[in-house]
Amino acid sequence: MAIMRRKQKVSDEIPTASLADIAFLLLIFFLTTTVFNEEKGLPIVLPEQSEEQDVSPKNLIFFIVQPDGRVIVRRGESEQEQTVSYNQIEGILRAELAQNPNLIAAIQTDPRAAYRHMVNVLDEVKLAGAERISLQELEN
Amino acid sequence: MAIKGGGFSRKSGAGSEIPTASLADIAFLLLIFFMVTTVFRKEKKRTIEWVEANATEKIDEKRKNILHIWIERDGTVYINDVVTPFDQISEVVRPLYADNRELVVAVRGDRDVPYSQINTITEELQEAGAVRVTFATRLEQRATRARR
Repeated sequence: MAIMRRKQKVSDEIPTASLADIAFLLLIFFLTTTVFNEEKGLPIVLPEQSEEQDVSPKNLIFFIVQPDGRVIVRRGESEQEQTVSYNQIEGILRAELAQNPNLIAAIQTDPRAAYRHMVNVLDEVKLAGAERISLQELEN
Repeated sequence: MAIKGGGFSRKSGAGSEIPTASLADIAFLLLIFFMVTTVFRKEKKRTIEWVEANATEKIDEKRKNILHIWIERDGTVYINDVVTPFDQISEVVRPLYADNRELVVAVRGDRDVPYSQINTITEELQEAGAVRVTFATRLEQRATRARR
């Protein structure tokens, strides 16, 4: 019969020419979509345990964090205290650091204060470019 | 002449095309290699509310040198998926620090944890000798900073 003898034009092999493209596409897709969660934060180096230094009060500026998140600034030598908002801290510290590059920013946090308040202050202190930072718990 | 056509008509037996038949194998091999060698941190994700900071820096340290300390809102501390009481943190961290002197401890605390707990942790870390610490934060947008 004429129909039976008609030659089949479709190849019976799987086309493998594009397989490499598919594989490379997959490879590139996974390479670009893999996200490693980066480690981000505020680095600080704690003092060694035995390390205790005497610091002259004029090289100190205290940021006292209250339980409700208020921040009080006190210069080391004076008894004068001043309540400030977070956005002011950077400016104050920058001005003080310009006068005295050896200044130590001491963050004294009330034990009841939330962690975020301390981080907010630490953030501002870091933004001001302070190199010497001390973290303390406020003693009553 | 001894050589017909001056020797130029000799057919070259080598094919002039690059063989692409094995390219797929190479690509899949690469794919499988990367899939097998990629190691994800096995640690479970804890639900904490992150603290935010503008001064957030990228910590340029190898993954294996970073130890996470999680402090959940209720004050539970997790180190490597193990609940650790506050007074035993230094005992847990000390051998890890002895193994790896480049250890950086990332403190991942919930934003509402009282500071006394964070202070206890930093004291314990000092006791263990691990003095390189980061307070893990998320980058804060300027707009939220103005509001706080």
